[in-house]
Amino acid sequence: MMTKVREVLLLLLLPAFVPHTDGTRYSLPGKPTEIKCRSPEKETFTCWWKPGSDGGLPTTYALYYRKEGSNVVHECPDYHTAGKNSCFFNKNDTVIWVSYNITVVATNALGKTYSDPVDIDVVYIVKPHPPEKLEVTVMKDQGWPFLRVSWEPPRKADTRSGWITLIYELRVKLEEEESEWENHIAGQQKMFNIFSLRSGGTYLIQVRCKPDHGFWSEWSSTSYVKVPEYLHREKSVWILILVFSAFILLILIWLIHMNSHSLKHCMLPPVPGPKIKGFDKQLLKSGKSDEVFSALVVSDFPPTTSNYEDLLVEYLEVYVPEQQELMVDEGKDHDGCLKSIGSASDSDSGRGSCDSDNLLMDKSGAAKEEQQQQNQEGDQIGTETQGPKEAWEKETMLCANEDVVSPSTSSKKVKTWPSVFSPVTPYSPSPLDPHNSLEMHKQNFLSDTQFPPGSPSSDHCIKKALQSSYWEVCFNNNQPYPQTDVHQQLQAHSDRNISAINDGNAPRNLLLPTRMTEYVEVQRVNEENKVLLHPIPSGHTREEACSWVGHGDNYSKVKGVNSDNVLLLQREVVEEESMEMAGAAESCYTSSIAINTPKPTTCSHIALPVQEERVLAVSGYVDTATMFSLDT
Amino acid sequence: MAQRRIRGGKLVMVLCVVAMCRAVPINDLIYRASQQSDKLHALSTMLTQELQGSEVFPIDRVHACHTSSLQTPTDKEQALQVSESDLLSLARSLLQAWSDPLVVLSSSTNVLPYSAQSTLSKTIQKMQEHSKDLKDGLDILSSKMGPAAQAITSLPFIETNEIGQDKITKLLSCFRRDSHKIDSFLKVLRCRAANMQPQMC
Repeated sequence: MMTKVREVLLLLLLPAFVPHTDGTRYSLPGKPTEIKCRSPEKETFTCWWKPGSDGGLPTTYALYYRKEGSNVVHECPDYHTAGKNSCFFNKNDTVIWVSYNITVVATNALGKTYSDPVDIDVVYIVKPHPPEKLEVTVMKDQGWPFLRVSWEPPRKADTRSGWITLIYELRVKLEEEESEWENHIAGQQKMFNIFSLRSGGTYLIQVRCKPDHGFWSEWSSTSYVKVPEYLHREKSVWILILVFSAFILLILIWLIHMNSHSLKHCMLPPVPGPKIKGFDKQLLKSGKSDEVFSALVVSDFPPTTSNYEDLLVEYLEVYVPEQQELMVDEGKDHDGCLKSIGSASDSDSGRGSCDSDNLLMDKSGAAKEEQQQQNQEGDQIGTETQGPKEAWEKETMLCANEDVVSPSTSSKKVKTWPSVFSPVTPYSPSPLDPHNSLEMHKQNFLSDTQFPPGSPSSDHCIKKALQSSYWEVCFNNNQPYPQTDVHQQLQAHSDRNISAINDGNAPRNLLLPTRMTEYVEVQRVNEENKVLLHPIPSGHTREEACSWVGHGDNYSKVKGVNSDNVLLLQREVVEEESMEMAGAAESCYTSSIAINTPKPTTCSHIALPVQEERVLAVSGYVDTATMFSLDT
Repeated sequence: MAQRRIRGGKLVMVLCVVAMCRAVPINDLIYRASQQSDKLHALSTMLTQELQGSEVFPIDRVHACHTSSLQTPTDKEQALQVSESDLLSLARSLLQAWSDPLVVLSSSTNVLPYSAQSTLSKTIQKMQEHSKDLKDGLDILSSKMGPAAQAITSLPFIETNEIGQDKITKLLSCFRRDSHKIDSFLKVLRCRAANMQPQMC
């Protein structure tokens, strides 16, 4: 009984002794995990497992399997062939298209631990060995090298019978840092060509394979190959080409140099500079645009002195046709003012003053017209091309401007023609012409002056000028006219601003003997400040220098009458319709004179406000522009 | 070994005779057939792998398939000993055995979880097409290889109604194996017929 108690005590104490010796705890072994089975050729297979912790005790592992459809458990036949923690199934133990149920058991002193079972089918776990006998050779294709890679399937894989069908893949890399593998799928062939090699480079090549339904093998061992330098032969050719082209280049350069001048002329033709007549680049650069533009004004535009006379002639000449048709407005109630040509005989009537007035006005109007046109043109251009003209104008302007009222009265130029131009025929004797033209210029200038309404001083000034001019003109004329009336007329109409016009009345007598011109004479100005014109007969030596009937010459043909009863006169060298004034009523206005016959009854009223300057064309040359200006 | 040689010789003779008919060469027919079977198996593998990933499908645990009664070689030696006609016959039998189950499978997809349904239906449709093509090709091939090749073992598929989810998984795993068998047989056949063209194998 004592021995039994002692055994029990020993048994109880024994476990206590053992652990205390090393101070560790023992436990069951860890579960084996990651069971992986692979078959290299679909004939055998190997399973590996990962052991868990051993629990501090020596642990043994065992693999048990069970085939599909059978409950017989078998143990792994071979634990050593495949290494540690593996189980190798040889051909005899391997069946295909049969599912294996595999379990690994870890056993130690304390117990067993079972792994999770794994179902495998051998045909699905094929992973072949890498291909063998990898050979790489450098071959030449018309002088250009390429690599020929060849290999053999793994020894154990039976591809010849078709049991395993393998697909190969190879990869190539330059023996350099930072170079990457270049993969190529080679299919079922056991040979592959690599082109586009770097001369003198060293290549690394590997190959692997895979069954049609399985896993890729590992990469084979690396094969090294060195590509020989293959550009040596080409270099000589390149050098030759280089030298040759350099030589040609030199020749070309030399040729170009020799012909540089002509080439330059051919390739880069000189650009013609801008040439504007009168355009001065320096002026433009200096920034004075006014001067530049003034320089652009061509001297002969408007026509200069050389053509001036012709121009004047154009405007001034009044022909007296043989028939002396009088284009007089029939419907003239105002007989007082308009006179037909036929009323030339009226020149002897007591209308001296008014006639002369009319004459004055007509002439001045005509002169004004022309002058106005010229001035307009001159304004546009901004220059006066006639020296004497300028001088004269300035003088007159100076005179007039002294007392010029602000332009409120008339923003436009005064269209008074204090002077009468003398018609200068183009064929008149030259010595006279310049003088005449000069006179005319003077007169025209005079006419352009702006006169304040009723400014006696201006009148005076004008008179002076006029007189001088008048006298001068008179002297040149073969038709001397007494000038006495001029002054009187001037005074008579001074308040109307017509004085200026009147002043020019006299010069109407300046007619060259060579031609008979007709003037429309300002008969008078009626109460309503309307100028009555009547044609003035030509060829009359009149004491009064009064009205005379124009002989069917158009000098002041009325172009038309606008709505405001403004007479638009224009000159015509044909018939003088202006004779309409003959027989026109007093209220009728000279403008009607020039009215064409189509308007027999119209007796246009010249809108002549009192203060307005008279624009009336005297000798048929009405400046339509001035007429327009009357519309205020 | 001698038997094999005799069989090989017979095959060569047959092939030569057939080749003289100036039809599509048998080599080409076999090659095309093997390509079709390869595609078919690849599809089924892909399907099972996809289903395995999405849910727990005990695919690998294969139960008895309706084609298990067909005796097929279980290792390489056995497989290489089978005659070409037998190989072809086996292939055709297996193929024939799966025409109906595929139809059943295609109509049973609604049983599966929604995520797997579209994949399943598409893949099954493709598999049906390939199976049809392969069947036609093998019919032509067998007609050229003699009466032995034309014998088909009937492997009826009993289930005609919709099947449950577990059945579907089982069917899919069975089909994977059988398609692999077909593919293997045809590839063996291909290599045997390509004696004149060793590069094919």
